[in-house]
Amino acid sequence: MLRVDIGLTIGAFELALDFAVDHELVVLFGPSGSGKSLTLGALAGLRTPKRGRIEIGGRTVFDRALGINLPPQRRNVGYVVQQLALFPHLDVTANVAYGLGGLDRPARRRRVEELLALLKLDGLDRRMPVELSGGQQQRVALARALARPTDALLLDEPFSALDEALRSDLRAELIRLRAELELPVVFVTHDLREAHLLGDRIAVLDQGRILQFGAREQVFRAPASRRVAELTGVQNIFRGTVAGGRLEAGGLPLHATVPPGVDGAVDVTIRAELCNLRRFDPEGPLPENCFVARVTSELAFGSMHLLRLAPEAAGVPIEVEIATRPYEVLDVPSREHWVVELPAPDLHVFPARTG
Amino acid sequence: MWRRRGPAQRPDQRALHAGFAGPAGLALLFLAVPVLALVYEAATAGDVGDRLTNEQTLAALRLSLATSTLTLALALVLVTPLAYLLARAEFPGKRVVDTLIDLPLVLPPTVAGVALLVAFGRRGVLGSPLEASGIELAFTTAAVIVAQLFVSAPFLARSLKAGFEAVDPAYEAVSATLGVSPLRTFWRVSLPLARPALVGGSVLCWARAVGELGATLIFAGNFEGRTQTMPLAIISAFQSSDGLAGAIALSVILVAVAFALLLLLRVTGVEPRARAGS
Repeated sequence: MLRVDIGLTIGAFELALDFAVDHELVVLFGPSGSGKSLTLGALAGLRTPKRGRIEIGGRTVFDRALGINLPPQRRNVGYVVQQLALFPHLDVTANVAYGLGGLDRPARRRRVEELLALLKLDGLDRRMPVELSGGQQQRVALARALARPTDALLLDEPFSALDEALRSDLRAELIRLRAELELPVVFVTHDLREAHLLGDRIAVLDQGRILQFGAREQVFRAPASRRVAELTGVQNIFRGTVAGGRLEAGGLPLHATVPPGVDGAVDVTIRAELCNLRRFDPEGPLPENCFVARVTSELAFGSMHLLRLAPEAAGVPIEVEIATRPYEVLDVPSREHWVVELPAPDLHVFPARTG
Repeated sequence: MWRRRGPAQRPDQRALHAGFAGPAGLALLFLAVPVLALVYEAATAGDVGDRLTNEQTLAALRLSLATSTLTLALALVLVTPLAYLLARAEFPGKRVVDTLIDLPLVLPPTVAGVALLVAFGRRGVLGSPLEASGIELAFTTAAVIVAQLFVSAPFLARSLKAGFEAVDPAYEAVSATLGVSPLRTFWRVSLPLARPALVGGSVLCWARAVGELGATLIFAGNFEGRTQTMPLAIISAFQSSDGLAGAIALSVILVAVAFALLLLLRVTGVEPRARAGS
């Protein structure tokens, strides 16, 4: 268990966070400069918050009011920094054994062997860091962080320097490890897909604050604000108004749940992959939230297609993501006009940001 | 045996390299000719052997090696923490300290000698309190070391500071999260990673100490067996009835010893732990 409630200021930047991590993997997701790495630094004891409390593994490691501030070496936290920082003058064994000074020699050797096996590094024990591939270096950094008894594992964009194939390997590895370790894991990333793949829960960070903290699906499907929608890659964000219980956004009349008390200027969001594309039948009725539209451009990403459709009547273009198989079955290129449906449950209405 | 990997030769740089070879050769010649001339003269004179076994020469050589080595040891102990603080810590007056360290590098050694005499001489600012506690510094072997330390320690400080600055603080941070105390981190990570700077700075520091003449002459004097190091012995020989012949023999001995020691340091110190290629 890891509990944080801290405030920290660096120059004009202010960090104020309050969250808890159980035996799960929590992704701190946010743009660069949002305070993700700073948060890990504070948890590890490398940065001193100006107020608040940090509890790791049932111990209070920081409490401003009580004057508690354990140094990094007494926090029992495994920390993998972005640049990995494998000690370049030590071989793999010495790197992994670096923090095991308290054990006698045979125990140390056993522990190193265990970790090398756990992270599939067998046979590399005598290599120097420069003699390892990027993925192997990554594994050594993880092994080193896990060598000592740890109450939490902190990972700072650990896969950012790797190519895509290696990243997916290591992500799979991390998912396996997470199940074995029974530790709170805090994983920092600005990669949307990585956040979605790895996070049991996701905390969306922006300018030093948590905008939303929740289960992965919830954060992606139901953003708590327009800013969260922007950060989590929601393609369709429309300006609109609520007047007399009627919602209109981007020139489209919409039906959606409007939060109580919301009136006047609003933002409406929906993810491109949650929009439906149907064949247009000129004879058939047009249900609510459905609009006849023309494909004006499209991007093919291999596994999926992103279509931009301009409504025939009034309205701003709508982006629709469709997987390649349905794209082929519907034979999208064959027709010009389609019906786009914006399902009401996936439309989110927020009071418009002022300023 | 490990493979030495040089930079890859780019074809488009061939003309540049060929063009640079001319001036580079001239520079090399300029550096080599005096040394070779010295060796040639000494060899044809044939009295190097006699000079080497001469009690005065041996004493000067012993003194030079002993004092310069002690100077280096003292510099390592005193300057390493200073260099680390300059690289890592923030403190008031840091820039003044930084400049102060450079000062002995630009001072003529004779000025350094005068300054040391004014500070630690019998009539110096700190002379009387030192004398009262029974310590007499000027014109002793200790003064030789003090003079050498004053002019040579800045070389080690400069080099080590740059070396520590080049060590990514992330290594030290990671070490801390692995349960290792800051002091042990210094020994296990910071210092080993600054090793090329440590060795390079030590070589410079030691070489400067061996060559020290001006400050030693003024602050420690030129007393055989006590403060007469090799450079001082060479000056004495040069000014004696022996003239150039004596100076040549002593010089070639100093050159040979210095060269051997530098080579030894390079071979054992600078290169990282040899590894079998995979």
